[in-house]
Formats: sequence, C-alpha cells, structure tokens
Amino acid sequence: MDPVLQVEGLVKHYGAVEAVRGIDLSIEPKEIYGFLGPNGAGKSTTIRCLVGLLRPTAGTIRVFGLDAAKDGVAIRRRIAYLPGELRLPERLTAAQFVSSIGRLRGGEGAARCQELAGRLQLDLDRPMRELSSGNRRKVALVLAFLANAELMILDEPTSGLDPLMQREFIVLLREARDAGATVFLSSHVLSEVQRVADRVAVLGEGAVVASGTMADFRGRARSHVEVFFADAPPTAELAALPGLVDPQVTGQHFTATLSGPIGPLLSLLAQHRVASMLVEEPDLEEAFLDIYGGGKP
Amino acid sequence: MNSQRFELVTGPLRSMRRAIAWWSAGMAALVAGTVIFWPIFKGSTGITDALNHLPPTVLTAFGLQDFGSPAGYLRANLYEIVVPILFVATAVTLVGGQTASDEAAGRLELYLAQPVRREAVYLGRAIAALIGLAVVTLALLVVQIVMDAVVDLPIDLGFLLPTVLLCAFVGVFYGSIAFAVACARPRPSVVMAVGIELAVLSYLIVAMFSFSTVLQPWSQLSPWSWAFAGDPLQTATDLWRYGALVVPSIALVLIGLRAVAHRDIAAG
Repeated sequence: MDPVLQVEGLVKHYGAVEAVRGIDLSIEPKEIYGFLGPNGAGKSTTIRCLVGLLRPTAGTIRVFGLDAAKDGVAIRRRIAYLPGELRLPERLTAAQFVSSIGRLRGGEGAARCQELAGRLQLDLDRPMRELSSGNRRKVALVLAFLANAELMILDEPTSGLDPLMQREFIVLLREARDAGATVFLSSHVLSEVQRVADRVAVLGEGAVVASGTMADFRGRARSHVEVFFADAPPTAELAALPGLVDPQVTGQHFTATLSGPIGPLLSLLAQHRVASMLVEEPDLEEAFLDIYGGGKP
Repeated sequence: MNSQRFELVTGPLRSMRRAIAWWSAGMAALVAGTVIFWPIFKGSTGITDALNHLPPTVLTAFGLQDFGSPAGYLRANLYEIVVPILFVATAVTLVGGQTASDEAAGRLELYLAQPVRREAVYLGRAIAALIGLAVVTLALLVVQIVMDAVVDLPIDLGFLLPTVLLCAFVGVFYGSIAFAVACARPRPSVVMAVGIELAVLSYLIVAMFSFSTVLQPWSQLSPWSWAFAGDPLQTATDLWRYGALVVPSIALVLIGLRAVAHRDIAAG
C-alpha cells in the first residue's frame, strides 16, 4: 500500500537559520505517527511545510501520492490541520467560526459538530475572546475531527486541555483511526504519544535523530529494577550482567537500571531466593531524553 | 464552490463590520459637522477677502480659492485634503487589518490550511475591504446630500458625485499599495506606514511643487494630481482620471497576489 505521506530530504532555511535539515518520513495508511521533539526542534516548521504554509528550501513532500508543491488545494481537501500556535478570530463565536471554515470545506455536518462540542464540553455560542486557551483548543479540535479527513495533522493538540479532555481526545483519535484516518501527531507530551502512536520519529535540531515502532522504543528504553532478596544479594553476579548499570546494594535491597532484554536478569534471580521484585514499565520519556541528550538508549 | 468564494468575502466582512461602521460614522460626522457651519460663511466676504491677500499659489496649494462659494467651502474644508486622507486611512487599515495583521497574528493559519488557494483568500479580503470602503463612501455621500439640503448649500450632484468617487478611488489606490506590500511582506506597521505616508507624500508633492515653476510640472506625477488637479467640484471630471487610479490599483493587486503565492506564510 502506498504511503499516505512521504517526505524526502526536507530542508527549510530561514535565512542563515537551518530550521529543518533533511528530514525523511513515510507514513502508512491508518497509522498514528508520533512526531516528538523538544521546542525548537523543527516540528512545527516541518508540519507547516506539509500543509503548504511554508515553501521548503529543498526536498519533496508527497501526500496521497500528490506533489504538495503543485497540488496543495487537492491535498488540503483531504487533510485536517490543527496548528500548534492557535490564533482564532476574537469577535466570532465558536459556532460562527466553525461554520465559516465548514463553508470553505464545502459544508460540514451540524449534528456532528454539536456531538463533538458536547463530548469536548465546549460552548459553541460564546465569542472566542471569552474562551480560555483550553477552550480555544477545543474549537480547533472540533474543526479537526469534523472534517472527516483522511489525514489529520495535529500539532500539540492537547496543549491547554485538562486531563479529562486529554483522555477524550485520545478516544476521538482512536475513533478517527478506526474510521480509516491516518494521524500525524506532533507533541512534546510524551505520555500522550506513548498511548496512541504506532510509530514515532524523534526530532532534534532539525533532523530525525531516532525513529521506529513504539515497541522498538520501549525495547531501547531503560527500566528501573528493584529486588528484595531473602538473603544477601549476589552482587558480583549482578554486576557482571549485560545491560545492568548503576547497581546499588543496601542490605538485602538491590536497585539498578536495565537497558536491553530482561531475560538474563530473570535467569540469575531464579537461582536465588527473591522476596519481592519491581520492574517499572520502560518509559518513552527516558528514551526520548536519552536520544535528545545525545546518548544511545 | 460558489459558497466557498462567497465565504472568502463575507467572512472578512463580518469581522470588519464594526470598523466599517465606525469609519462610516466618523466620515458622516465630519461632513455633517463641517457643512452645518456653512450658513455662517455663506455670503461672508470677510474670510474671502482675507484669503485673497494670500499669493494665488498658496491658495491653490491648499485648495483655499473661492472659499466663500459652496464648492470652495467644501473643497477647502473637506475634499482637498481631509476626506481623501481619511479614505486612504480607511482603505489602508481595512485591507491591512485583514491581510498583514491577521497573518502576522496567526489568524490566517486555519483559513489557509483549507482547500482554497491562498491567492483566493487574499483576494477575498481585498474585495471585502473594497466593499467596506464602498459602504463608507455611500455613508459620506448620503450625509453630504442630506446636509446640503438642510443648510441650503447648493452644490451640483454632477460635481459632488465625481469628487466623492475620486476621493474613494484615491483610497482604493493607496489601499492597493498597502495590499501589495502586505502580500509581499506581512508586517502590519510597514503596510500601514507605506500606504498612508505615500498618500501624504503625494499630496505634499502637489501642494509644495506648485510654489516652484520648475517643480510644478512634476506634480503631475502624483496620484493626488491625477485625482484632483481638474477641480472636480467645479469642473467636469475627465474619465482618464478614474482610470489613472483604477488601472494601477488592479495591477498592484495582481502583483500582490503573485507575491503571496510564492512566499512563506508568517507564523503567529
């Protein structure tokens, strides 16, 4: 199956500033693709190139097989975009604004709009100037999900939302994917990406510094290991285990950080009397910080 | 698709409606507040005599000739400087607000991410600003006609209408400059400054160059001269004067649309 979005050698310069330095991406249909990176890594610049708001300095972007440089209108008919920096017309009510954008898209369903507003607890009749940043974000989310787009490009979609609404957003996102949408989800909220993304690319200083499936990232991520031995810990054997770093022994209590497979550790522990054991779920955030920090996870 | 085009114009008009209302009210108040004093000056020879002591070049430069006549009174107080400058300010602020200001603030981001060409979005906003200017023009004209009747200021509609239209067209001309600048470089302060300052400069060229026989012929290069050198309140206006303002305006809009199609959209 052809990729929904294919980016090759994307470069974007602002004068002497190299905001994006040769990005390659390929996103498959019905995939939720996480796009991670710290502020200033080039995420929003990349996204604004994808949507046609910026002209790439070099590289090609193909969406649904169409050339983004030539077929912008046809592409935008099939995508929904939620910008990271959200500025909405102050004097319009949310309903007026949603209707206005709907008319530009050729009409959207009023019933679906009401349903989305209800689920996101958004009052559509209030002027935008009276809305909090979270509620403005909800307006943009209504627009994004209302479009029934084949590709959703979402830049920091939950910024300003309370945890309840963040959870509702995840539900909506999964529903959209189940309905056939592909999602390009840019965020620096790692827990959010961790929960929904099938694959992830990590951006640092304008380039992809790591990419892979979530399983890949979890495998590369470090886990905290904590073991209470019934007897004295086998300190020398533990220290010799591959992937086990920073071992600490306090009486019968052993802690360490594990990177890589857990099998050798379990084999060793099976030979000893263990009172209890705790292995924390590998955390994408740590993997991300390792990658961005220049270390190898 | 027609509803899409309609929305590209009516959407900006909705957000401009207060500004249009305020500009209309301001223009109407200015005209009413000026015309209402006509009975005091009507037939009064004192000011006319005093002005006649000024050199003819000064009178012409500031539109003060025949101050005691209806046409002279309206020219000196409204249509020589004030109304054209206000039309320029109206046009430049309306078009600048809908283009450069909205883009620089990031308010165009969601519109430009829809299945529309960015040229269409910008053209829609230019047309909306033009409609706004037309409403302001109409408000001024209606109040002028009504007030003329109220205070018995006899001015031929055949001269008044071209004068008001030329003022509006001057606004369109400098609004088009502002539009082209906004399309090329969406900096609101630059757009406003270029539009309004060029208009003031073109007036000063006409006014100041008239003091010098060497410079005076060059004043014809000024759009102010194209519009008002024929004294439209007293003389039939040549059609070329409208064309001289409208044709470059259309060209400026087209140049602007080409520029906006080939540049990055500013982030908010």
